[in-house]
Amino acid sequence: MTDQADQHPVTGLDDVVHQRVRLGILTIAHQARRVEFGFLRTALELTAGNLSQHLAVLEKAGLLHVEKGYEGKRPRTWLALTPTGHQALQDEVTHLKRLIHQIEQGNSAP
Amino acid sequence: MTDASAPSPGRPHEILANLGDLTRKVRIAQRGTWFPLLLFAVLTLGAILANRFTFSIRTIPCPVSHTPVGAGPSCVLTRQGMPGYWAGGLVLAYAATAFFYLRRSRSRGVGTPIRPYVLTGIAIAVLFGATAFLGTPQTPPGPTIDFWGLHLNPHAGATMLLERFTGTAASIGVPLLVLSWVERNRALLLFTLAYLALELAPINTGSWIAPSSPWSALPHLAIPAVFLLLGALGFARTQQRSQRTTS
Repeated sequence: MTDQADQHPVTGLDDVVHQRVRLGILTIAHQARRVEFGFLRTALELTAGNLSQHLAVLEKAGLLHVEKGYEGKRPRTWLALTPTGHQALQDEVTHLKRLIHQIEQGNSAP
Repeated sequence: MTDASAPSPGRPHEILANLGDLTRKVRIAQRGTWFPLLLFAVLTLGAILANRFTFSIRTIPCPVSHTPVGAGPSCVLTRQGMPGYWAGGLVLAYAATAFFYLRRSRSRGVGTPIRPYVLTGIAIAVLFGATAFLGTPQTPPGPTIDFWGLHLNPHAGATMLLERFTGTAASIGVPLLVLSWVERNRALLLFTLAYLALELAPINTGSWIAPSSPWSALPHLAIPAVFLLLGALGFARTQQRSQRTTS
């Protein structure tokens, strides 16, 4: 039986989360608590279509909660991380840190 | 155009550094530090007038322990300030700050972490107000000060420090410490520590403003008010510049 701590950190990376744009979305949503579609699009320098595709993936995976509404006559889409989303981001960052630690240990080994 | 489903390129520490940059971008968009500082500056400046117009001098019979040998049996009691001014003003300032941050959050498209700051501020302001109302002595000053059941020596350094801390230092300084924590704002933390040092430092103005003067509280209020005002201007300029850089 293999202990999880013995596994290489790469095996713990989640493909849904470990994608540049999606990782960015999760990070921003985590820090902002709630984030509007327009802010994400500007911060990540994406087109609306591209961003929507990534949001759909994250929503389908249960990592993101999407809330659509209006502010005056203007439609607004707000996004927030679900508890699973918070956990997934935390796991991803932990794996990345472990990976960095292993690389640095490998570099310092004789 | 890059493949939208490709995993994050780059080495792990580059990925983490990019995430750090995104986090900083969000924090800059969330900050509005200048606004509460400006409100506190205005409130403190207003207190100068409130103190001036509520100033009163009364001659009361001296407590036995206070009567100097050979002196008359009466003592002069000066009183100024309205407990309701600070409690009401602070609650209004925190409510206005909450409203300001919520509006900004909606216009900028990012949530706001302001709730712990506003709740701490209102709780301290209410406590501060209640203490001031209950603590207003109706009897002539005695040899000790009754502070929540503790009988403290009014001339002891620790008592004077405690008195200064339970004033505006706690009701403005402590919530600002909470704000610096929720905003992860190191500059605000340093500013708040300097503000607390300024509030807690003993300022002896007796040589140029007599304690019986209606303006005796002026230096104690004007110095922190100017400091808060300069802080508001400084943070407004810095935050405007950071927003221009990130957008």
